[in-house]
Amino acid sequence: MDWSLFFLRIALAFYCLGFVSSFLPVLARLNTRRVTPWLASAGWLAHTGALVSLGRALHRCPLGTIPEVLSALAWSAVLVYLGVFWRYRLEVLHIVSLPLALVVMFVSGLLPEELIPLAPSLRPSLLRFHLTVIIFAIAALSISFAASLAYVLLDRVLKSKRPSRLGFRLPSLESCDSVGQVSLLWAFPLMTLGIVTGAIVSAGMNHTLWAWEPKETLAVVAWVILAVVLAARLVWGWRGRNAALLTIAAFAAVLLRVLGVY
Amino acid sequence: MPIVYGMNHSSAPLPVREKVAFPPQLLREAMTRLKGADGVVEALILSTCNRTDLIVQMSPEKASCVLTAFLMRERPVSGEELERHCYLHVEREAVRHVFRTAASLDSMVVGEAQILGQVKEAYALAEQSGSIGPVLDGLLRRAFSVAKRVRTETAIARHPVSIAYAAVGLARDIFGDLADRTVMILGAGKMARLAAEHLIGNGVSSILVANRSYQHADDLARVLGGRSVPFDRMLQEMQKADIVIASTASPQPIIGREDAQNVSRARRGRPIFFIDIAVPRDVDPGVNEVDNVYLYDLDDLQGLVRAGSDERRKEMVVAEKIVDQETEAYLGWMKSLEAAPAIVALRQHVHDIAEHEVSRYRARLGALSPTQEDALRQMVASLVNKLLHFPTLALKRSAAQEGGGRVELIREIFGIEPPSRTGSENGGADDAATEPAESTDRRDDR
Repeated sequence: MDWSLFFLRIALAFYCLGFVSSFLPVLARLNTRRVTPWLASAGWLAHTGALVSLGRALHRCPLGTIPEVLSALAWSAVLVYLGVFWRYRLEVLHIVSLPLALVVMFVSGLLPEELIPLAPSLRPSLLRFHLTVIIFAIAALSISFAASLAYVLLDRVLKSKRPSRLGFRLPSLESCDSVGQVSLLWAFPLMTLGIVTGAIVSAGMNHTLWAWEPKETLAVVAWVILAVVLAARLVWGWRGRNAALLTIAAFAAVLLRVLGVY
Repeated sequence: MPIVYGMNHSSAPLPVREKVAFPPQLLREAMTRLKGADGVVEALILSTCNRTDLIVQMSPEKASCVLTAFLMRERPVSGEELERHCYLHVEREAVRHVFRTAASLDSMVVGEAQILGQVKEAYALAEQSGSIGPVLDGLLRRAFSVAKRVRTETAIARHPVSIAYAAVGLARDIFGDLADRTVMILGAGKMARLAAEHLIGNGVSSILVANRSYQHADDLARVLGGRSVPFDRMLQEMQKADIVIASTASPQPIIGREDAQNVSRARRGRPIFFIDIAVPRDVDPGVNEVDNVYLYDLDDLQGLVRAGSDERRKEMVVAEKIVDQETEAYLGWMKSLEAAPAIVALRQHVHDIAEHEVSRYRARLGALSPTQEDALRQMVASLVNKLLHFPTLALKRSAAQEGGGRVELIREIFGIEPPSRTGSENGGADDAATEPAESTDRRDDR
């Protein structure tokens, strides 16, 4: 029996349930949101089981193919989401993080299981390092994105002076802002490290440090936006709506890079 | 059975209500006196500015005259006024009334949170004075859980009930916790003071007051425990404020768009919340368009309250359904208690027969070892319990549904004498509650 597939299905089932339970209160008079983090935790445990058993079955780190990388990305996104949720209790994170993990896992299921080609001169550990760093950068960025999205939504609700039509209370502007900033502080150095190691990996494969391919360009665009947001926040004391909008743009670029270009 | 006698904001005008309302310091003794009144078994008085309810456990026949007489003795109110403005709810209606009151469905402002606290206070007082017993205790506890259900399962408590609530709710939407926030008050009038007190009540800790007359600002700052600020330094000081309440008598706006932009820039984009309760307005409406600045004037807040009251009205339908459900559940439970005396009698009866027969045939068994003796006793006890299991269930169920029809039948089948009506109703209820423990006790006694 293929244990990794078995665990993966369980994880998917829990993520789906968690996703449904986070959305039900918007549609119907059901207070199911309390169970969402538990479902997500259960899914994450099963997902961990899937990754571990896959690694054991293949006798290598399960970051060898694109689907594996994406699965690890979903895993780390859920991990970061759970960590931030237990710390800050922002309910809105459910609504962004779980569908995101689901989409990434779904896409990973569609892609062919080809090994990422490696130049013989390149040490595989560098590629693994690059992927791990990038994966956590994106996971942290997804939290920043969720918080920024909540900020923009709440800002609109407050400016419109009409009571919220959403089925739930958004967290306060200040807590959205601080979660956005903290997760950005994590995402940016990781992203920088990821892009640098990526360039080295690419140099090992193509013998050029930088080819102006769309995927690389997108990554750099995302990185530049992130740098601007962070500089604006830290140096010029920018906060609030514009910072949130820029974070959303940066995340969109990263997501395009991850899902669209491969 | 539970009875509610009293008046509320819809049945009586304020002049009558204030005559009937009990001063808090007299309430405890009044509850004790009410319990001492003719025919009253248990008593609780709920007295707020919007209602005075006597919640009692007694038989309904004399209730009206006894309770009217009680109110006339206690409060300076005439019998005629009471007759015109009081309601008397019996059993189902009384239960529903208590549930609706605790859930804030009977309040003048539906969904306001205060009433539940007031009911809880009255309950604590009644408990201290010893005026309530098992029936009202059960009723009130159930009412608290109904109120909680209504608050969590409907959005009735989620909408602001007044301008002040709306303003605090918005401040929480922006800042989350208000504990270490600074509020600045422009103007030193009554409105400004009320608004500030409301925010302080919600945790705001530091207060700045600016007013054209520095003396007035200083006075108000002293009352509120804050700091006064010269009026011409208002804009500089505003950079420290998270919330600004404007209520000056100025004929034209004193804060323009430019000012707000400067303040926001100086605050490095941290949000600032303007509450403009002055008429004519103190803050230029354009201020709301500045990034990270939020401006609500009197109309905006009133709009929120109005929208909230529409929402609450919709939610009331759901809440009333919950109350209906809970009322039926509670009455069913009460009725199942009524079967208690019959159940006790039945068990006693069968037990006695078994004991009698055992002692009759015991001699023929000869000498028994202690283990055998035990086994014999256990066999008899378990035989009795098993035989009575379904009749007991049937009795409880029939009592909960349609009343005592089956009770008579079972009495006839088992040949039980009708009980002499000496024991109080409550005694029976207590027995039923502890019934399983009791049967084991009995086994051990012999």
